[in-house]
Amino acid sequence: MSREADLRVDWPRCEGRALCHELLPELIDLDPWGYPIVNGPVPARLRPAAREAVRDCPKLALRLIERKDSA
Amino acid sequence: MSRALDVLPGPWLLRSTSPGLEAHAELRGSLPQLDAASLLALVEASGLRGRGGAGFPFATKLRATVSAPGRRRHVVVNLSEGEPASAKDLALTLHQPHLVLDGASLVAHALGTREVHVVTAAEHPEAQEALLAALAERRKERRDGRRRWRLHEASPRFVGGEASAVTELIDGRPNLPVTSWRPTALAGVDGKPTVLSNGETYAQLAALVLGGAPVPGTPAEPGTRLLSIAGPTGTTRVVEVAHGTPWRTVLSTTELAAPVLLGGYHGTWAPAGALEQLSVSHADLTAAGLGLGAGVVLPLAPGTCPLRATAGVTRYLARQSAGRCGPCHQGLPALATALDAFLAGGSLERVERLRSLVVGRGACAHPDGTARLVGSALAAFPDEVAAHSDGQCRALRPALTTVGVR
Repeated sequence: MSREADLRVDWPRCEGRALCHELLPELIDLDPWGYPIVNGPVPARLRPAAREAVRDCPKLALRLIERKDSA
Repeated sequence: MSRALDVLPGPWLLRSTSPGLEAHAELRGSLPQLDAASLLALVEASGLRGRGGAGFPFATKLRATVSAPGRRRHVVVNLSEGEPASAKDLALTLHQPHLVLDGASLVAHALGTREVHVVTAAEHPEAQEALLAALAERRKERRDGRRRWRLHEASPRFVGGEASAVTELIDGRPNLPVTSWRPTALAGVDGKPTVLSNGETYAQLAALVLGGAPVPGTPAEPGTRLLSIAGPTGTTRVVEVAHGTPWRTVLSTTELAAPVLLGGYHGTWAPAGALEQLSVSHADLTAAGLGLGAGVVLPLAPGTCPLRATAGVTRYLARQSAGRCGPCHQGLPALATALDAFLAGGSLERVERLRSLVVGRGACAHPDGTARLVGSALAAFPDEVAAHSDGQCRALRPALTTVGVR
């Protein structure tokens, strides 16, 4: 059982620059105003791309949160 | 505030509505000093839930803060009630301030904390005056030794009383919601473990500990609820009812026969007559898909269209967005406009899409609560939805578009 993680947006920080969507289109859509829509938890194969999205967000508004227990 | 406030005596917290310490001590005795384990056991046995809206079990919160690592802990009493129709915490502050302060003091003692933060609403300066008078009495009578009280005033906006907005205020930053990466119980004021709860929660706790009267309510749900009932007449009445009390005895026949918005502007609609067979009980209401939130009860004026009332509240909630989270700042005005457009014969699909789009996408639950209100109106009033889809309105009084908005 591999541990899962969630991408969480720090909404007051996010300005809708949409870089996360560019880096991780499999997991992140954009709403009509350009803000990210995160579709579900991060599967193992997308974890490197998710880390990159977190690192490269120009507003540092994205975090990868490890689940304590993937029940 | 244009609304008049009636506070009626009740069975438990409002057994007395006289605010002085002498009357309070005569009625409820001196303040015992319980350690964390004893207080936790008592809270757990009572099943006490937080009264600020979310209804979270208070024992879970308290236990998390008690067992968190580190020495410093904080206690916050939230009396700010940003909900416009809510007046129960103001009523408690003006009529039973010592009960609230006793509850906070009990928690502070159990946590080994000297300092307690108390947050009132800036638009009610009389609340802070009442607290200052009560604190002077406590110092004089040495009600709780060397307890230090810090008073704060929350800004008059809907989201100013939200937990993270309150801890921001106490930490000296703008009184607005921020992203909480960890629960307040573990990382609240100054990043330290914090018991932050609504004023009524502390009053209920104190009433339980101090005793002096049999506990009202039911075995499953001991205690009472404070309700702020804001009828269409412009008067808000604060009533205290024991858990298990039938709504038939709480609301008037006219109010029962109309749709009732339960739990305030982030709440859910009970269709006309739905409350007649239900009681004021967490279990009862949850089973019916309803909830009491912070205890705001808004009966609709007879003959008014509940969808138009909902649209009016949605416009208000959109204006109350702090504007810091994009999906809320953009999404709530769009949702309000879409709802207005639907009521004028437009698309329901757009309302549904915007409603699901804002959920879970903010630092606080303001977008979620607004989506819940709109969703509940669409679910509770299928006949009105069908009529508006055909460009009709079933209301006798279409001009009255708001409920409880002051």
